Amino acid sequence: MTLIRSISRRRFLATGTLGTAAALTTRGVEQLLAAEAQRQDKRVILLWLAGGASQLETWDPKPGRPTGGPFQAISTNVPGIQISELMPRMSRHLQHTAIIRSLNTKDGDHGGASRLMHLGRRDEPSVKFPDLGAIIARELGRSDSQVPDYVSFYTATEGRGTSLGQSGFLGARYNAMSLTQEQIPANLRRLEQISEMDHRARGQLRDAISEQFMRGRESSAAGSQREAYQRVPGLMASEKLFDPSSEPLSMRELYGETLFGQQTLVARRLVEAGVPFVKVSRAWWDSHGQNFETHLELVSELDQVLDALLTDLQQRGLLQRTLVITLSEFGRTPAINASLGRDHFATVWSCSLSGCGILGGSVYGKSDEDGNDVAEGPVGAGQLFATIFQALGIDHRKEYALGARPVPLTNPGSEPIKAVLA
Amino acid sequence: MSKVIKELQRREIFFCIARELENHQFFVGASDGRVYRVMPECEPPVFLGMDGHRGYVTGIVCARGQVISAAYDGSLIWWDSREGQPRRKVPAHARWIRGLALSPDESWCASVGDDMVCRIWDTESGLLRRELAGHAPRTPQHFPSMLFAVAIAPDGQRLATADKVGKINIWDSSSGALLRSIQAETMYTWDPKQRIHSIGGVRSLCFSPDGRQLLAGGMGQVGNIDHLEGKSRMEQYDLERGELIHAFEGELKGLVEKLIWHPQGHVIGMGGDHGGFVQTYDLSSQAIAQQEKTPSHIHDFVSNDAASRFYAACHGRIAIIE
Repeated sequence: MTLIRSISRRRFLATGTLGTAAALTTRGVEQLLAAEAQRQDKRVILLWLAGGASQLETWDPKPGRPTGGPFQAISTNVPGIQISELMPRMSRHLQHTAIIRSLNTKDGDHGGASRLMHLGRRDEPSVKFPDLGAIIARELGRSDSQVPDYVSFYTATEGRGTSLGQSGFLGARYNAMSLTQEQIPANLRRLEQISEMDHRARGQLRDAISEQFMRGRESSAAGSQREAYQRVPGLMASEKLFDPSSEPLSMRELYGETLFGQQTLVARRLVEAGVPFVKVSRAWWDSHGQNFETHLELVSELDQVLDALLTDLQQRGLLQRTLVITLSEFGRTPAINASLGRDHFATVWSCSLSGCGILGGSVYGKSDEDGNDVAEGPVGAGQLFATIFQALGIDHRKEYALGARPVPLTNPGSEPIKAVLA
Repeated sequence: MSKVIKELQRREIFFCIARELENHQFFVGASDGRVYRVMPECEPPVFLGMDGHRGYVTGIVCARGQVISAAYDGSLIWWDSREGQPRRKVPAHARWIRGLALSPDESWCASVGDDMVCRIWDTESGLLRRELAGHAPRTPQHFPSMLFAVAIAPDGQRLATADKVGKINIWDSSSGALLRSIQAETMYTWDPKQRIHSIGGVRSLCFSPDGRQLLAGGMGQVGNIDHLEGKSRMEQYDLERGELIHAFEGELKGLVEKLIWHPQGHVIGMGGDHGGFVQTYDLSSQAIAQQEKTPSHIHDFVSNDAASRFYAACHGRIAIIE
């Protein structure tokens, strides 16, 4: 009952899939409420590998081929699945993970590709689409939540401009709380010159004026403003979530001493506290020169972070309701250039999905023996997004109303990949 | 003027080359895990592959009628070069082997790998003589480091090793004692803001004929670490005082992958970014006397007896340069 009460009536009725609830039986409503409650308990952590991580040095190694590079493949705890030797720790988590090896997204430009992999579709001149985080925040967030719905870390400066945090037509309510230079959100703290008592009194005065204004009025704008202010105390209290120093030393060491490691630890703290979507961006993977040295650094770090995150989530009982995604804007060329680098490549590349709603130990799609083309099961951005939504229990065909135009969560024809869904 | 007079184009990347004096042939290590016996000046050129490694072959020496190779699979192989078969394979390092150097009397060789250890091997027996451990396994920013380069002094009494963060260690090769450490920090670029990772490292080392100086090659500080776009760099050190004598910064970009001290007193360095380069350093005037582009990145080279002709292991080709 507690769970059901925590869903606001307004939000429940606003949910498209439940729009006909009034026509349902009491039992049907209870079932839908339960399903909605379960759905809202789900979370996403997106590890955004900005700049383009190499599929050949991560999820789709080609040892012994001219394009394979110097790293070998290693077996994982799922028989028949091999990944790069740079990921020995991750090799112990394949029972929770699906690998997609046949992304073909056709865009090898950082800007366009990054937008595509954030939006799940191409831009349209007349529509500002919401990104994945904003949709998840809209679908899984709670109006009475005391924590942010969408938090995004992007500390490196390279590529930050093209790594979207865009709520589009969903409105500012679903914009990311974006952390770039600071690790703890700025302006969360009460101003030193205002006492706690004054701060509370100001809030009460604002509430009183707001209630008086709202009396007898129907205004979504005013309602939004009041809702935003109602979230202030919770957001102010959430400051401590962003500080990993309160974690035991052993936990901080598990994630590693790097910035990416510590930010991912904060991501776990946030999802545990109820934040539905956290993006941790790790830039910059654009290894046109010295690809193997770069990936030795960055994949080793990713391996430790993924291992720590999946272990930690599992031990806390959170993995079955938290979807962990590793994704870039594209992969890297099979051909090794004269600087021992790999260039941009969107023709066939890989990503991973772990945890919530995912059929662990599955591999979907196949690249050819040198990794030049998709050999089986091409996957586009829309299909990947539909799969992510389905894993979270969100109907990818659900439509938002943009004026008179219905806008589905994914473009028509983008069907989920059932083979990787639990 | 340096000029490429012949190229043998291949699809492999060649990382190392050694010259066998008696038979006028060369051995090169390649990205397909093979060691190739090459006679580049024959028509048609001879190019025979020898299988044994499972990883890029990155070090090779010819010692007392034997060929010894080192690879990213962590192993050293002693070859019967006539039969093209391995005689002995030794698991030498837990990680990639980045370099191999031969002592002047050819009785021992030294390998360096990403396990950050230098190991000294008896070239006759293949037995390990000594381990030299003195390079940190992690960079100051907590990422894996790499041990790129090794060189042995002309008298065989000392050897030098160098790593990713620019640390150069000078060792007593007999006792294994660490004699001195030098920090060539300019050759390591850590980008804390734009891209949050690193590039660079000391990639080549060379003692002076009298053993009193050491040359270190690499690349200067890099703005955009996505590319090898730092200026090529060679630093000249006085080993007795442990001081930098002069830093030579080239106009051409990329890594100085190999250095040799020419009998006439100047120094030849080769390397590259996407393309390759040959540079001649005039130590007396502390200037780069010549710098020429070549078609492809040069990973290693050897010279003929007169040091008038060079045989280079390049990306996708073997080149003869005069």
